[in-house]
Amino acid sequence: MKDFKKLILRIAFTLTIVVIALLLGRMLWVRYMDSPWTRDGRVRADIVNISSDVSGLVTQVLVKDNQFVHKGDLLFKIDEERYHHTLAQMQAQLDQRRVMLEMKRAQSKRRDALDNEVISQELREDSDLFSASAKAEYDQAAAERDHAKLNVVRTAVLAPVDGWVSNLVVRPGDYAQAGAAKLAIIDQKSFWVYGYFEEHKLRLIHIGDPAEIRLLGSDQRLYGHVESIARGITDRDNPTDVRLLANVNPSFNWVRLAQRVPVRIKLDAIPKELMLVAGMTCSVIVKQAKQ
Amino acid sequence: MPREIALLDALVPTLLIAFMISVLLSWALDWLFSHLGLYQHIWYRSLFRLAVFICFFSVLGLMIY
Repeated sequence: MKDFKKLILRIAFTLTIVVIALLLGRMLWVRYMDSPWTRDGRVRADIVNISSDVSGLVTQVLVKDNQFVHKGDLLFKIDEERYHHTLAQMQAQLDQRRVMLEMKRAQSKRRDALDNEVISQELREDSDLFSASAKAEYDQAAAERDHAKLNVVRTAVLAPVDGWVSNLVVRPGDYAQAGAAKLAIIDQKSFWVYGYFEEHKLRLIHIGDPAEIRLLGSDQRLYGHVESIARGITDRDNPTDVRLLANVNPSFNWVRLAQRVPVRIKLDAIPKELMLVAGMTCSVIVKQAKQ
Repeated sequence: MPREIALLDALVPTLLIAFMISVLLSWALDWLFSHLGLYQHIWYRSLFRLAVFICFFSVLGLMIY
């Protein structure tokens, strides 16, 4: 009888430990697999590609690589001599058109005063129209002059936002093609985080949920909240060919990897001493919003 | 607690460290139990060892996540 009691006690003790282990193991499993967090997060920022609005030789580069610039700061200058010449040409054309306009107007005015005995009615009417046409030509020349003036102004390339210059490859003497990007500016106020969440975790994420961001290899925590969730990712199993036919991948795996959907996290505040770099890796933990 | 730990410049999940710590802890407990002769109160030794290990590992894991 005593041995039997002892046996029961032994079994009970062991089974208790086993049950505790199962419960704890399940808790860890649920926490690890089913809570909305990901190690696959990236710090992102808006990048502005800077290119000149007019073509020409670069005469001056006033910034260094990775330098902080304020909105409106001069980044580099295009040789403006040619544009000054064009401006002078357009100004001359405008002056000429103005003289012509004055002449046509004077003619028209004079002819209006004459009666049909002196000039034909046709000639009189035409002179009014000539004067109107001269006015139109004058306006056209004025627009061309303004355009030339704008080109001169645009030889100075200015920073459109506060931020850091990056990937500066332009040197004095380079030829800058209008519209070809010469450097990038990383917008200082635009930092945000992309968390790439497995598709099965998306149902646990709602817009406005608070999120915690931990940078890779650092104890520093950032806080933010879910701003939006991407509504489309590429179907990698079906690239279309040149004739736009479907090209469905015939492989079907026993083990399937969940695809990742980008979730955009807006950062609430960035500590001043923290240096965020666009492209950094981070973990993103989304918490359920308090109801 | 950080979720990644740098091991020789390779960042590994802290869970790996937790796994190793729980192995050490279970060995220590195993040694203690056999020294104090407590295993006579245990039904299946291996089952008990496994359960103890899972307990250690889960608790450490829950502390990380």
